[in-house]
Amino acid sequence: MFILHLLNRLQERFGDGISRVDMTSDERLYLYVKPAVLRNVCVFLFDTMSARYAVGIGADDTPYSGKYQVAHNFAFDGKNLFCSVITYVDGTAPEVDSISDRIPAANWSEREFYDLVGVRAAGHPFPKRLILPDGWPDGEHPLRKDVPWNHVPENFHSGREYEFERLPEGCVAVPFGPFHPTLDEPAHFRLYVEGERIAGCEYRGFMAHRGIEKLAESVLTYNEIPMMAERICGICGCVHNVAYAQAVEEAAALSPTKRAEYIRTIMLEVERLHSHLLWVGLACHIAGFDTLFMQSFRIREPVMRIAEKITGNRKTYALCVIGGVRWNLDEDACTGLRRVIDNLEDEWRGVVAAVSKDKNIQRRTRDVGVASPGLVKRMGLLGPVARASGICIDARRDHPYAAYDEVEFDVIVRESCDVWARILVRALEVFESIRIIRQCLSKMPDGPIAAEITDELPSARTGISSVEAPRGEAHHFVITGEDNKPRRWRVRAPTYQNLQGIPYMIKDQTLSDMTLTLGSIDPCFSCTDRVETIDIRSCSHRVYSGRELESLVRRKDK
Amino acid sequence: MSLAAKIKEVLICLRAGRVTLPYPFEPATVPKAFRGRPIFDVERCVGCAGCANNCPAREILVEDVCQEVRILKYLGRRCTYCGRCADLCPENAITMSNEFETATDEISDVGQTLELFMGTCQRCGRCFTSPTPLEELKLKGYRIDDLMNERWVFRSKPFLNEEKTVDDIDIELD
Ligand code: SF4
Ligand code: SF4
Repeated sequence: MFILHLLNRLQERFGDGISRVDMTSDERLYLYVKPAVLRNVCVFLFDTMSARYAVGIGADDTPYSGKYQVAHNFAFDGKNLFCSVITYVDGTAPEVDSISDRIPAANWSEREFYDLVGVRAAGHPFPKRLILPDGWPDGEHPLRKDVPWNHVPENFHSGREYEFERLPEGCVAVPFGPFHPTLDEPAHFRLYVEGERIAGCEYRGFMAHRGIEKLAESVLTYNEIPMMAERICGICGCVHNVAYAQAVEEAAALSPTKRAEYIRTIMLEVERLHSHLLWVGLACHIAGFDTLFMQSFRIREPVMRIAEKITGNRKTYALCVIGGVRWNLDEDACTGLRRVIDNLEDEWRGVVAAVSKDKNIQRRTRDVGVASPGLVKRMGLLGPVARASGICIDARRDHPYAAYDEVEFDVIVRESCDVWARILVRALEVFESIRIIRQCLSKMPDGPIAAEITDELPSARTGISSVEAPRGEAHHFVITGEDNKPRRWRVRAPTYQNLQGIPYMIKDQTLSDMTLTLGSIDPCFSCTDRVETIDIRSCSHRVYSGRELESLVRRKDK
Repeated sequence: MSLAAKIKEVLICLRAGRVTLPYPFEPATVPKAFRGRPIFDVERCVGCAGCANNCPAREILVEDVCQEVRILKYLGRRCTYCGRCADLCPENAITMSNEFETATDEISDVGQTLELFMGTCQRCGRCFTSPTPLEELKLKGYRIDDLMNERWVFRSKPFLNEEKTVDDIDIELD
């Protein structure tokens, strides 16, 4: 078995460096290693064993062990295995070795755990502040347990300016965002432009922090978090809702009922349908093809209606509680859903047949925003972006959850690596979702929709869950805790990885392709920015002030 | 080939016709399961505080003003219409209504305050045996409901200061 083989290889190589191993199932491996070998173990998994980097997590474990915890999660997609490399560090200035030089996908995660938990990644190639607002005082780390959730730092430097990196020789800076017509949410790219060509960029984001992880760890309880988790994203909310519930269930060794698993699968696919239709519409809108934008939204509307009929809301389904779901699908809803997907299939087939032959849109999107397979691996890119670059990964097949192991579907892959391929992948995935829903509807067993949970959930257990969101794999990591709430809940939305690939995808493209490339990963900034506690007033004042926008514009003319 | 594609696209648009609804000139209907603004029924509520204890948005505050009167205040401003309160209410005192057009410049329009007369035990004079659900809620160490300022405060705080704090964004229009 692969997990044993992997463990053997690791033990051969690192021997005493590995202090403890937890194998909670054939699909999960928790390696507790000494800080000294953390970097080598990670590099070994990534380079030699060809794992995909999923996410890095920092946690404050000081109330329990007096130490800080750092974990790097790796995925073995062909082998249905997640491996978490965990280490503990102590001291007043805790440090681990950075792995970002060898595993660039870890870049943001490492900066994030310094910002939030205060564990420094020593030797990080670009250790700039990523998440905290500019005026946040140095040395205060909001995810530490001794910081209250509503902490307002006294010495907030509201006048502190963000320092951009130096412009490369011969370039001018063009600000893209924070508010840009093609972005629905704030993010700022400072593009270095040489004539029409983009030579590089600096990203500055995390402007929509809402402190969700901190709230979950300090204020909310297990069954309240799902309602907030789905507010991480306005489009793929159900994904986070399900992923959170699954992570807790895994940590507490509970299983949801069979019917609940089917209902989760159905609602996740309903969500994918609406998200893909929305995205294809928006992509066409960005490319200037508003006809299809309108038609996609028209075709999408019945999907929203049926979701409303089943769950009581068009978008926020409020679906999961730990151990099951809240809404049952009655006969009426099943018939309704069948009718909706039948119509949708017909209509969408017509649209795809027309659009896939449309030369104009092909010319606009071919060879734009190229993400090579190498880049996908290096930056850990996910979902349709990876699949459009010939990398066949899909959490539904590779790490099956809910009822995905009981349905048949194809993973759509295209090879041309560009925006056009991403359009095709998403357009065709709509048919696969329809297939999955059909199978679920016919196979769904009767029974209760939620498991009865009578005991308190055990504390200090770890759970990983991965759900294929419309934009790629959403990855949740939970450490259970006392008082009916988790100790640590880390959410890694797909855009968190995909956005890190953008600077490479736009390099050497023309300025006009920027919007399309960015649009093609279907960026979701709120998902990416989900963490943090900040003073809402001072932050919004700082970030969105007209003065700052003005000064950005001025800088451009220099 | 592209011309054929264009013709197909035109046909798709033409066949669809006009789909825009006349809303807001005609009211929009919602399905039966719709989750709109929760409405509390004072006749049914027994003041168990189950809803307050499980509301993800902390929108329901409870305070005992004396032995026999309990105030339950639903604020209605951050409410996510998740329906957890309605799920958990043992007396079905909460209905998720059809109301979704709740925009208002007076925040109290969407809130509701229930004054509950609590029946007491003839023998011991209490409404619930100790620890009551409300006491349990507060024992957990996370909240004291401050009805006057419409907020809940951490129990670990030594005292309540008068002014509203960052606990809540003040969304009231002046
Ligand atoms: S609907 Fe949800 S957010 Fe609103 S009061 Fe009820 S439990 Fe709270
Ligand atoms: S759960 Fe129902 S009965 Fe209990 S306080 Fe809330 S509304 Fe009243």
